[in-house]
Amino acid sequence: MLVEKFLNHISNWGKLWFGLIFLGSIFNEILEKFNILSGSSYAWGLAFGLGALIGLTAKIRGAWL
Amino acid sequence: MKESPEIAAEFSFEKEKLIAKSFSQRFQWEMILIGLGQAALWLSLWPLVLNGLLDLWVGFFIASLCACFAYLPSHEAQHGNYSRGNPKLRWLDGLVGHITLITLKFPYHILRITHMKHHAYTNDPERDPDYANAHNTSVLKVIKNVLDGSTVQFDKYLEVFQNDKAFVNSFHQAIPIALFYKAAPLVMVIIFPFETLLLWWLPAKIGSVYTTVFFSYYPHLGTTTGRYQNTRFWSHWMPRFFNHSMQLHFIHHLHPGIGHYDEPKAVEALKPFLVARKVPGADKIPDRVTLNPLINT
Repeated sequence: MLVEKFLNHISNWGKLWFGLIFLGSIFNEILEKFNILSGSSYAWGLAFGLGALIGLTAKIRGAWL
Repeated sequence: MKESPEIAAEFSFEKEKLIAKSFSQRFQWEMILIGLGQAALWLSLWPLVLNGLLDLWVGFFIASLCACFAYLPSHEAQHGNYSRGNPKLRWLDGLVGHITLITLKFPYHILRITHMKHHAYTNDPERDPDYANAHNTSVLKVIKNVLDGSTVQFDKYLEVFQNDKAFVNSFHQAIPIALFYKAAPLVMVIIFPFETLLLWWLPAKIGSVYTTVFFSYYPHLGTTTGRYQNTRFWSHWMPRFFNHSMQLHFIHHLHPGIGHYDEPKAVEALKPFLVARKVPGADKIPDRVTLNPLINT
């Protein structure tokens, strides 16, 4: 069933998605607000990459903290 | 209920129930006001902050307060304390139960069924969904687990109660709302990053920590199983209105139908019964529950 597959995916990969989208968006906004790497195309990649990395680490560890 | 021969007839369960019932009739209007009020206030923060009419940090503070007030109105709904057995008013339980939990991002159906199991199996390591909180070794570990999200083990209890049809049905009923609460912040954070963080995500975490520590950890800390032993009266430096009078949580476990704001009077009336039953901390209950701290130990 599609819903079940989706739920399994969320359960397995939720931390990575949260890191990428949620933390990535926050980091991106922080970089923009404080003009860090402003104008650089790396800023976007750095913010979302860091978010994804934190999420992936949490997924591997099985816990955020 | 089978009565222990040590209990005098004047403190029988029937008499205890009769007194408790007299405190279980009143319409819980304050709780409805708090539940719907905090949700409305929380929602109003969004246009105010987004239009620059309110500072984001002030909004964060108010949203965190709202989150701390969000669980209890839903908790009354979980016990059906608004409808009080009247099928025509059952919609009110659902309405308040769902709406007030928006701030905390928790689906009402899941909290309701897991809370019913908590009452049925309090302190049972396998079947009490709150066991991990109440029997943790320190309050800091409880806080860490809540922040981590590891106190929410709904999947585990779906397996434990897989043969309970009502439990499984309610669980499945909650899935769309649970998914909404997972997806909504992920969508909103792309458009309003700081607002989503400080008006919803972080306040929900703060509210969850507050609720878990005061509603789950302290009232059951060091207690065992059994109707009169699974919760305790306790004291805290914090004025009791700041911890939602959870020092009285024992009486709620004994008679969940008693309205939250009627619990102090019920405790006074039932004190002799509780002392006779050797309830932890009952001998230290003051004759009149008025000032803070509630119980001086």
